[in-house]
Amino acid sequence: MQRYFPLVAIAAAIVLPLLTANTYFHHLLVLWMLFSLLALSLNVIIGYIGELSFGHAAFFGIGAYVAAILGMHTGLPGVVELILAAAIAGLFGLVIGYVALRIVGPQFAILTLGFGSIIYTITNYWVDVTRGPMGISNIQPLSVSGDFLALTGALGYYYVTLFFVVAFAYACYALMSSRTGRAFIATRENAPLASSLGIDVFRMKLLGFVVATAVAGIGGALYAHYLTVVTPDVMSLQYMAALIIMVIVGGRGTIAGPIIGALIYVGLLEALRAVGPLRLVIFAALLTLSVIFLPGGIVSLWKKWFGDAETGEPAREGGAS
Amino acid sequence: MNGKPVLEVTGLTKAFGGLTAVNDVSLTVGQGEILGVIGPNGAGKTTFFNVIAGSMPPTSGSVHFEGTDCTGMRADHMARLGMTRTFQITSLFPALSAFDNVRAATYRTKSTGWMSAIFRSTAYRTEEEAVSEAAREALRFVELDSRADVIADALSYGEQRRLEIAIALAAEPRLLLLDEPAAGMNPEEGQRLVGMIKNIRDRGISILLVEHHMRVVMGVCDRVVVIDHGIKIAEGAPSDVVNNPDVIRVYLGREAVSA
Repeated sequence: MQRYFPLVAIAAAIVLPLLTANTYFHHLLVLWMLFSLLALSLNVIIGYIGELSFGHAAFFGIGAYVAAILGMHTGLPGVVELILAAAIAGLFGLVIGYVALRIVGPQFAILTLGFGSIIYTITNYWVDVTRGPMGISNIQPLSVSGDFLALTGALGYYYVTLFFVVAFAYACYALMSSRTGRAFIATRENAPLASSLGIDVFRMKLLGFVVATAVAGIGGALYAHYLTVVTPDVMSLQYMAALIIMVIVGGRGTIAGPIIGALIYVGLLEALRAVGPLRLVIFAALLTLSVIFLPGGIVSLWKKWFGDAETGEPAREGGAS
Repeated sequence: MNGKPVLEVTGLTKAFGGLTAVNDVSLTVGQGEILGVIGPNGAGKTTFFNVIAGSMPPTSGSVHFEGTDCTGMRADHMARLGMTRTFQITSLFPALSAFDNVRAATYRTKSTGWMSAIFRSTAYRTEEEAVSEAAREALRFVELDSRADVIADALSYGEQRRLEIAIALAAEPRLLLLDEPAAGMNPEEGQRLVGMIKNIRDRGISILLVEHHMRVVMGVCDRVVVIDHGIKIAEGAPSDVVNNPDVIRVYLGREAVSA
């Protein structure tokens, strides 16, 4: 059964929105998938290379703004925009990672917070390009070319984002059963030992960071096209914290973890709408409780109750599949 | 020793400010040779080792591996050339199983990456098979094959030290640098280690051993270099070195020099 769990999960995700015609429900599903993609990408940094990044929302924002600005000025096909959003966010990741990854641990986390804040501030004040705090609105829907196959409804965005989530989750799974993935984990577990075995620790961390930021860029572009509005708020501290909560509460270093974390975040955000800003306090409490009582995240419960699940701990299972 | 030396250290000096921890030490490790570097505590053994292994650049002098100048080279570059080190303090991937510890260590010997894993290419499958086989072989060599699925953190101290050797072997080095492998071991474990080191040499791997335990050094080394206060004071066969008056003086009152 474990072997087929991913397929069952994908099938369930495909059928899920067809159960209801409620567009608000569809909207929540799109948010879930968008956050899943982001949390999965942040998980590469937190879970695989073992660094904490407070700047991830900034790369999400870069992707969103690339899509918005390109759409406004060039009218490029959506597919090209997605690639450019990934490339530009990844390029920022490369430059920032190249500088910041010289330092590891808490200092790296603080550096990413700094870079994230710089990008946020520039976005907020460079009004000529970004329109400042007002943000950019009326972003064209995602399409193959012009109006051809333009995505308008939430359902379409749900499936497109689901496709990216599945593709990236598979890429993460493949990574963890590859030589590169073992080098990531070795770097996370014991950098001096990894280095003595011929692994270029800095390059591994940089590779993980760039991949994570590029995928966050794709997430941002999808987000911008879906909501048709983007403001600097997407880079704010609130989103940065939310992404970290999803990864840690869901289960870092796993594939199912960040997706479940995103579901919990989106679900609670809706369920607790009535309590207003108090939600943030509840999220903070959730993070604290998770770190203390469930350091492996929600997915570690599955392992505790049902034994070793395939999606639970990809790092542990071999290339034997 | 015959043929070209595997490792050639010439006039190696390492100074920390005013303190010269290693002073003009030269030595060579021949093909298939086990060379021991010994000395009392604080003699500069570990500094000497770290400079050779790439943890820190020397103040002066040079290190050549198989004719390649690798003075001051980074540890991962040296490892890719074919020289692997172990650590004085147990150094493992604690959260991974013994098997995964060793699999991670095969990095240098393989070449497929993430992309081939995504597309499950034939090269990827073949290499993954080879990685698992090499890992099983290395675990068998250190007699840990029955403990392959145990998390490294949960292994006993002696097992962890053996796992370290399996990790180093999985990188398929031509020169193995062992930093006090017998540290903290009881005599029985020490003897087991001696047997293991000899077996490693029989695989065609040259060994440089920095060690404090006389028994291990005398039992296994072809030649011994003695360092005191950063200076080489003696060099030769173990039986000659133990009778060297300088060596006896240095070790006097600390430990019997006899094997």
